[in-house]
Amino acid sequence: MPKCTINGTEVEVKEGATVIEAFKKMDEDIAHYCWHPGLSIAGVCRLCMIDVEGARGPQIACNTVVKEGMVVTNQSEQIKDIVKWGMDFHLINHPLDCPICDQAGECGLQEQYMKFGQYDPEMDQRKVKKRKVVDLGEKVVLDSERCILCSRCVRFTDEVSKTKELGIFNRGDRSEIGTFKDKPLNNKYSLNTVDICPVGALTSKDFRFRQRVWYLKNEDTVCNGCSTGCNIKVYYNEDGLFRVKPEHNEEVNGYWMCDDGRDIYKFANKDQRLLKAKKFDGSTWLEMTAGKAMQDLHQNLFNDVKTNCSKVGVVFTGQYTNEEYANAMQTFKSLGVASFFEWNDSESTKDEFDGLLIRGDKNPNTKGLQDEARNHSGLKSLSDAISAVESGQIDTVFVMAPENISVYPNYQKTYESLSKAKNFIWFGANKTEGFEKTSSANTYLIPMKSYIEKDGTFSYHDHAQKFFAVTTIVAGALTLSEAMTLFQGKELEFELRAKPMTSLKNNHFTLNRGKL
Amino acid sequence: MNKVPQPNSLSNWYLPGIFKGLWYTLTNMIKNIFNRKAMPTLNYPEEKYNYSSRFKGNHILTVKKDGSLRCTACMLCATNCPAQCIKIDASEHDDPEVEKFPIKYEIDILRCVYCGFCEEACPVDAIRMGPEWQTPGLGNANFTYDIQKLAYRANLKGGIQSAVDDKERHKAGI
Repeated sequence: MPKCTINGTEVEVKEGATVIEAFKKMDEDIAHYCWHPGLSIAGVCRLCMIDVEGARGPQIACNTVVKEGMVVTNQSEQIKDIVKWGMDFHLINHPLDCPICDQAGECGLQEQYMKFGQYDPEMDQRKVKKRKVVDLGEKVVLDSERCILCSRCVRFTDEVSKTKELGIFNRGDRSEIGTFKDKPLNNKYSLNTVDICPVGALTSKDFRFRQRVWYLKNEDTVCNGCSTGCNIKVYYNEDGLFRVKPEHNEEVNGYWMCDDGRDIYKFANKDQRLLKAKKFDGSTWLEMTAGKAMQDLHQNLFNDVKTNCSKVGVVFTGQYTNEEYANAMQTFKSLGVASFFEWNDSESTKDEFDGLLIRGDKNPNTKGLQDEARNHSGLKSLSDAISAVESGQIDTVFVMAPENISVYPNYQKTYESLSKAKNFIWFGANKTEGFEKTSSANTYLIPMKSYIEKDGTFSYHDHAQKFFAVTTIVAGALTLSEAMTLFQGKELEFELRAKPMTSLKNNHFTLNRGKL
Repeated sequence: MNKVPQPNSLSNWYLPGIFKGLWYTLTNMIKNIFNRKAMPTLNYPEEKYNYSSRFKGNHILTVKKDGSLRCTACMLCATNCPAQCIKIDASEHDDPEVEKFPIKYEIDILRCVYCGFCEEACPVDAIRMGPEWQTPGLGNANFTYDIQKLAYRANLKGGIQSAVDDKERHKAGI
């Protein structure tokens, strides 16, 4: 383990680590655009300049391996000057369209100009005009003028996704990023190029122009799009969730996540959610709060379930947390119910894996469900449940419906076939408008919280991850555990579940006016 | 600076204060009757005060040469607004030169404090505070001004042209 001195402080790094990694370990500021910890070293931006004691001249930190006893600094006047005017070169052709650029607010150029630049430009030539709003593929838009040719995105498609769509074309100041004619950027990981782009050259079509980034707060959680469980950051404000970005976790997802995972905020937003509990008593639909509906359920059905426990079925999906499964199964077991079913629409592809991140089992917690059911009587398949309902063996069905319904193509069909039971209780986060017609006398639709709004644990294929509530979107929704408590006729113990917003929607700037 | 009169032995009594006040009213009334030009108050709304043309009143959204909105929906005005009364929804423009434009721009005029920070924050002279200061409305009047009202209301005669032009800026190499 070699030791080196960074700006006067000694630090020990891994064998073969580069100087820039030592800087990052020390949390020392160093200017850089092209270096990214998840990609190979390109050394094209020439900004991470350092002075090494005994070397002939300035070196780049990203391509210099730490040797024992190395003394490194980037605080000398000469290095500061090099970085400053290096940045001027990067910005020669960069247009001043920060006001309409989506990256503004989280832009590498803005941040590093304030830290290391702060020069008056000395270029007297006109800027080179390049292509704007270039459609690179289904999800990504390119603005060539803003690009500083750090080649991160090109290296990403070469090394990580291995799809090799992007390249740098032309020479000199006419160089620009582009795709080959017949090969648009349509791989399953294309939006990672937007994340790693240090400027606003690559922007996401989904997020484009929907919010300025300074209106958004972010919070860590895990992705529930498949059984990989990438660590993510969700960006949200009072209007709902706006985007998802990957968060570094070496053991799970590295620095990346797939494009499908970036859509998982959509089903959690208010326009897609079941906002109020609904009850159908044979003739009319009644709207009520979820707590009221569960109390109603307790009065009307709790004793029925207890006496006719052999005619009760419970259908689970792999989208709830371990704690909720334990609670729900315990509740039903104490009532004598033993018929548990598993509903998984990605059953046939559940062992598929693309080698990078995407897994075929589109539920985050299939393993948690199966592990928990093993303590009880095990799980039967959904087709058993449907045939039992049709033959009348089961007349009361509890369904713990999925929240990410985009991976449940048979969502509506399953609802319709299970709702033929005499008593039909549906716990779900998504709205059911359009197909809530039902033939049974007793139907309850109970709004559930999405994974964004609750604490819990997901057991993935080989590891478990705990996550915490991010924000509240539907105030009246319940977790499965809360619903079970109310179903047993007990009272809920309330804590302040929603974290208070630490700042108003747009007051980061307003509160700091004049200090920037 | 006005000095607050200290209480003295006379002001402890009721009638001297009343008569002093009535005397003041009477002298001013007589002055105003015989010298109406020096009277400081106006008979609003028949008479109106002539404010400077630089008075910072109701907002105007400026337009480009072709009459379309100058605003690029950068949201700097909304960010800078201390009353948080500006709401903007941006969208993609067909023309790649324009790129971003507002499909909704609303100012809740009853929340606005007329501080002028929006005008100061605007990088392209898209929003100005105009000289119009008289904006009464009846009970059902709409005080949330939209694009139609802010940019194309009748007294603007087709819109005020912005001082910043993209094409000229491109020619200058910016």
